[in-house]
Amino acid sequence: MNEQQLITDTIRRILQDQCTKATVDAAEAGVWPAGLWQTLEDNGLTLAGISEASGGTGGELAASLLIIREAASVGTPLPLAETFIAARLCELVGAQMPPGPVTVSGSTFTLTQEGAGYRLQGQAEGVAFANQCSTLIVVANDASGAYLCLVPLAEISQTVTQTMAGEPQSDFSINCLLPADAVFGSTEDLAAQLWCLGAATRSVMMAGAMTSILEQSVQYAMERQQFGRPIAQFQAIQQQLAVLAGEVAACQRAADSLNEALVPLNEFDIAIAKARISEAVGSATDIAHQVHGAMGYTMEHSLNLRTRRLWCWRDEYGNEDYWQQSIGRYVVAQGADNTWKTITDAG
Amino acid sequence: MFQGLQFEPVKLPQSSVALRAEVRAFVEGELAADYLRNSDFNAGESAEFSQRLGQQGWIGMTWPKQYGGAERSFLDRYVVTEELLAAGAPVGAHWIADRQSGGQLLKFGTEAQRLEYLPRIVRGECYFSIGMSEPDTGSDLASVRTSAVKVDGGWCLNGSKIWSSGAHMNHYMIALVRTEAQSSNRHAGLSQFIVDLHDPNVTVKGILNLAGDSDFNHVFFDDVFVPDANIIGTPGNGWEQVVSELGYERSGPERFLSAFRVLVEFIREVGDNPTAAQLALIGRLLANLVTLRRMSISVAGMLEAGKTPITEAALIKDLGNTYERLVPELIRVLAPAKTSQRFQNTLHQCILHAPSFTLRGGTREILRGVIARGLGLR
Repeated sequence: MNEQQLITDTIRRILQDQCTKATVDAAEAGVWPAGLWQTLEDNGLTLAGISEASGGTGGELAASLLIIREAASVGTPLPLAETFIAARLCELVGAQMPPGPVTVSGSTFTLTQEGAGYRLQGQAEGVAFANQCSTLIVVANDASGAYLCLVPLAEISQTVTQTMAGEPQSDFSINCLLPADAVFGSTEDLAAQLWCLGAATRSVMMAGAMTSILEQSVQYAMERQQFGRPIAQFQAIQQQLAVLAGEVAACQRAADSLNEALVPLNEFDIAIAKARISEAVGSATDIAHQVHGAMGYTMEHSLNLRTRRLWCWRDEYGNEDYWQQSIGRYVVAQGADNTWKTITDAG
Repeated sequence: MFQGLQFEPVKLPQSSVALRAEVRAFVEGELAADYLRNSDFNAGESAEFSQRLGQQGWIGMTWPKQYGGAERSFLDRYVVTEELLAAGAPVGAHWIADRQSGGQLLKFGTEAQRLEYLPRIVRGECYFSIGMSEPDTGSDLASVRTSAVKVDGGWCLNGSKIWSSGAHMNHYMIALVRTEAQSSNRHAGLSQFIVDLHDPNVTVKGILNLAGDSDFNHVFFDDVFVPDANIIGTPGNGWEQVVSELGYERSGPERFLSAFRVLVEFIREVGDNPTAAQLALIGRLLANLVTLRRMSISVAGMLEAGKTPITEAALIKDLGNTYERLVPELIRVLAPAKTSQRFQNTLHQCILHAPSFTLRGGTREILRGVIARGLGLR
């Protein structure tokens, strides 16, 4: 059994046992699934692909993408993506990753020297799972470069709300002093790294959930009887599900490209994936819900654990319009007659 | 859990990088400055271009050397085909022979047939048409009525084939005909024959398409004698052979690149000051195209590994056709107010031929049926 298969089997087994619909529903009602987090951490699944020097469990970065994708396919209510992004940024600047779940914000902050430390100022909106994290990681830029700031959240007030998917998110207005050892300078474009890692993880999360809603829809169509037979036997349903399958296959392929897009950061491939997958969410969730009928529209049915998250993730870290424009600007700058070269260079 | 939804990433080998550069330079040298480039594989044909391509060794390039082939990989072949299409080169003459007829002969034909046809196809001198549809047989391919009756030394063909592209210019057709009366097994009793389109008992009548081109034809067989040597594979095995042909027919870059030149000309038209909507459209079309291309390369990898990716091919064709059908529609509404004659000609040619994209090689409805089977729904 190869490394990848081992990870897939492990994460699936854990999620099947400990991330049921009841777990996700409870999280939406405010119950943090501490046991699930602990199990994942004990199995080295929260910091896979992050070097041991930075506090991770080593291996390939692709392992983390795989874990995040599998977790997303069942709507796991944990900041696995945020923790991964935070850890990757810590690794880049040579910082030690704080223990437990950590969240990140893509907002831009300002940093000024004050005494022996720094003053950090800025606003952050919609910070995922911040109410369950002890540390927030943000990027601040000044004329001399980029800084990664590890902000302890214990003494900072936050306004907690819920996303469309019922996941906690927080708004912050930050004006605090940080000790010098919580600030790490870097020659890397940390803001771009953070934003691209956000888009990449949201992309694999959507791919995971998309695969899952296809499986659910096919299964439902084979079980649901109307007019004396399973609705899967009607061509109208078969054709809809075939369209959904096409979108899902494209999303899977786009997400697979990200395994090699993180080091070095390949912004073009990340843009392609986020644009393509976000674009697919609207029509894919439409078909999945249509096939499920009114049952899929209920809170009771587990389809909404995926579809509500998909509706959030497609907008986070840049929606399809944002990334399409970014691709468009790049292509136009190459000139019309280099369009094909741009495509083949992407591999 | 599903059949045909996995598109394992495949990297094109280093050998294809040099090949790509060669093909690109060759095509640029061949096309005149005023040639209206069209990425629709069916849009232009030039025997001269096909022969020059053959001289380069770029037709039948995966075939064994004893038949004139270059024994190169399907991935190398993929590179050549996509470069030709992207450049908008006139590939129509040899396209079908290279893509599927030659492969059928290689897989199911006799040694004598391979030696007879393959070297000429490779040289770009021998062109084939597809003989599947009939006036009363479209998507329901098993309902073909054209029949072949056993006679001394061969078979006697009667009936007709329709929508056969290039039959008025090509040399041969591989025709799917009924060699036994229809039984309860509709797929039994069909056979494939090589028919000489210049036979005096074969009549080729052109059919004008709505763009005013006479590309496809109605081909009549009136007591056409086909020698035993021209049957492909086993008599009665025609259905299985046709199905295997579709993996090659449906998964290639011609299923999503037909409108590519429209995109290139659109990018030229928007110039240095594109609007946000134009940028987003270009990005959207690129994101779809790059992904489709990667899926198609995955299938080339499956073909190279000797697999028969029927569902994957259907899926790429459906996604790809939907995409190439959308390209001119989306570009049309975002084009600048004043555009060049070249842009307009390219766009209008695409709009006029776009209805064929989702019909040729299997309709969208048939493809979705194939995908549904892969999902286990039927």
